[in-house]
Amino acid sequence: MLNQEYPKFEKGSFEGIEISLSEPNVKINLRGKKKEFFTKIGKILSIILPIEPNTSSSNQQYNTLWLSPDEWLVYFNGEDRQLFNNLFNEISKLNFGSVVDVSNQWICINIKGNKTFDLLSSGSPFNYESFKKTKNSVTQTLLNHTDVIIHHKEINEINLFVRRSFSEDLWLWIKDSARFI
Amino acid sequence: MFLINCPYCGERDQSEFSCGGEAHIIRPKQPTELSDDQWAEYLFMRKNIKGVQFERWNHAHGCRKWFNMVRDTKNDKIHAVYKMGEKPPVE
Ligand SMILES: [Zn+2]
Repeated sequence: MLNQEYPKFEKGSFEGIEISLSEPNVKINLRGKKKEFFTKIGKILSIILPIEPNTSSSNQQYNTLWLSPDEWLVYFNGEDRQLFNNLFNEISKLNFGSVVDVSNQWICINIKGNKTFDLLSSGSPFNYESFKKTKNSVTQTLLNHTDVIIHHKEINEINLFVRRSFSEDLWLWIKDSARFI
Repeated sequence: MFLINCPYCGERDQSEFSCGGEAHIIRPKQPTELSDDQWAEYLFMRKNIKGVQFERWNHAHGCRKWFNMVRDTKNDKIHAVYKMGEKPPVE
């Protein structure tokens, strides 16, 4: 039986770094290449999916992240599954692409502060030099040997997605490392 | 440690990738007509060149796409990176 409860992470505040659990969030994985796929997404989300690698696009409600040439992650605050149902019925059911609810698969952790990227660099092979200067950039990489998706939402503020089963371990690592940055 | 230029995401550290072995191996059209030796040749036998080798790689901790690479195994110098289905560059 899937554990529907989110892990209980207490906020942490360190010099130049603040970390908190950013849940509940609805997260939807989208895959597709067909023309109809893009038209339907545009209509339902009122957003154009980012085609350029390592970027994202957002409107008032939704954030869409580029994951690969035919794969995106959509996320937004709340627990409203209506959007998922719309997308599923309009795209998956008609075979224009695939729509999967991954809300319970990923945990979103918010990290902010002027030392955010020092913290990330301390456990990641990714080069954050240009990433940290570009708002709305996205990357998938490793952090402390764990797969993560990083969305650079505002300057010095990121939303980090980690698989649920790895989230506690990574959270402890982040808390530990933040003390020494 | 070396850097690999993923054809989709750009330059990333090698630790984000996994190697999928020799590239451009063609599956026999009629496996049932092959002898055991011929089948084993296709299935198991791989070149292990000290020098320039054609390989498949996967950006496992990034975009998760497969691509091809021409790599010199002597010094890890990467001569070319190209997408699946594209023709290998002529040396
Ligand atoms: Zn990639």
